[in-house]
Amino acid sequence: MPIVTFHKNGEVFVGEVKPDTNLVVRAGIKQFPFPHLSYGCGMGKCAKCACQVLAGGEKLPEPNWKEQKQLGDRLSQGWRLCCQIWLTDDIELMQNTKAA
Amino acid sequence: MAELMNQADFREALENAIKGKSANKSPFSIAWAEGKLTRAHLARWAENHFHYVGPFADYLAYVYARMPDRYTEAKDFLLSNMYEEEIGGDRHTDLLIRFAESCGTTRERVTDPDNMSPTTRGLQSWCYAVAMREDPVVAVAGLVVGLESQVPSIYRRQTPTLRKIYGFTDEEVEFFDLHIVSDEIHGERGYQIVLEHANTVDLQQRCLKICEIGAQMRLLYTTALFHDYVEGDISIAA
Repeated sequence: MPIVTFHKNGEVFVGEVKPDTNLVVRAGIKQFPFPHLSYGCGMGKCAKCACQVLAGGEKLPEPNWKEQKQLGDRLSQGWRLCCQIWLTDDIELMQNTKAA
Repeated sequence: MAELMNQADFREALENAIKGKSANKSPFSIAWAEGKLTRAHLARWAENHFHYVGPFADYLAYVYARMPDRYTEAKDFLLSNMYEEEIGGDRHTDLLIRFAESCGTTRERVTDPDNMSPTTRGLQSWCYAVAMREDPVVAVAGLVVGLESQVPSIYRRQTPTLRKIYGFTDEEVEFFDLHIVSDEIHGERGYQIVLEHANTVDLQQRCLKICEIGAQMRLLYTTALFHDYVEGDISIAA
């Protein structure tokens, strides 16, 4: 089971999720990382769910066209859209209130 | 005699009720996945699909209004689903119309109810009837668990085909991409509502039955699309 370590505004939250989990789907049904993960449209348009991957990014698939469009240069700094990624391995993410 | 199930067993029973009648097994879905449809076939699909999914927030609004006010979280979940369908980002039906236009039809044709088949009209009517007349928890089971929660698995199969075989661009198939995410959220919310509030044997059994019927209705709809628009043009593997 993937372990998610979630940094938000100086606090750290840790939770276990099922394989092939989308964190925005989890937040949408009020499960961890709810209420810490901010998100909006759930369709790769608003980028409110953008997070910087601190560890485990190498296990993620390549950014899709929506992430490329929304994140641009931030992709090279490890940013991803949580609504567009399904987790299969441990990951450490950071989302600050003003970051998205 | 049926007994009251715990939430894990009830969820498994709901999933099994849907599984056997999955729309993935319809000839239209098979032809789609095999890359055998033309853009004209897909245009007819879009012209019909609009009238099934277009009023989804309307269906949910009837359920929302009849959901007991003490079920605050259930009502909030329904409201979130309605908001996300319509104004959370791009309106979902606008993305469907964008796909339809790339198939060669027009917004006017898509939104004209005269262009849906009688079976599509039947599915739309069934959705309204369930929303207005069933116990609201049973209605959520039928509309959200039975119908909407099937969408991610269908589109996961169909979307890569639209890009690789049919040659659509990312923007043209965005309707399908977004539904892989949003319908997964919506379907899960539906499960949460049903698992929590179908708390009697009678309610659980009615939820199971309506899931089965909802899946049958969707299968009927997609099968009719094949007969109405595709059958004379192609053959598919049995």
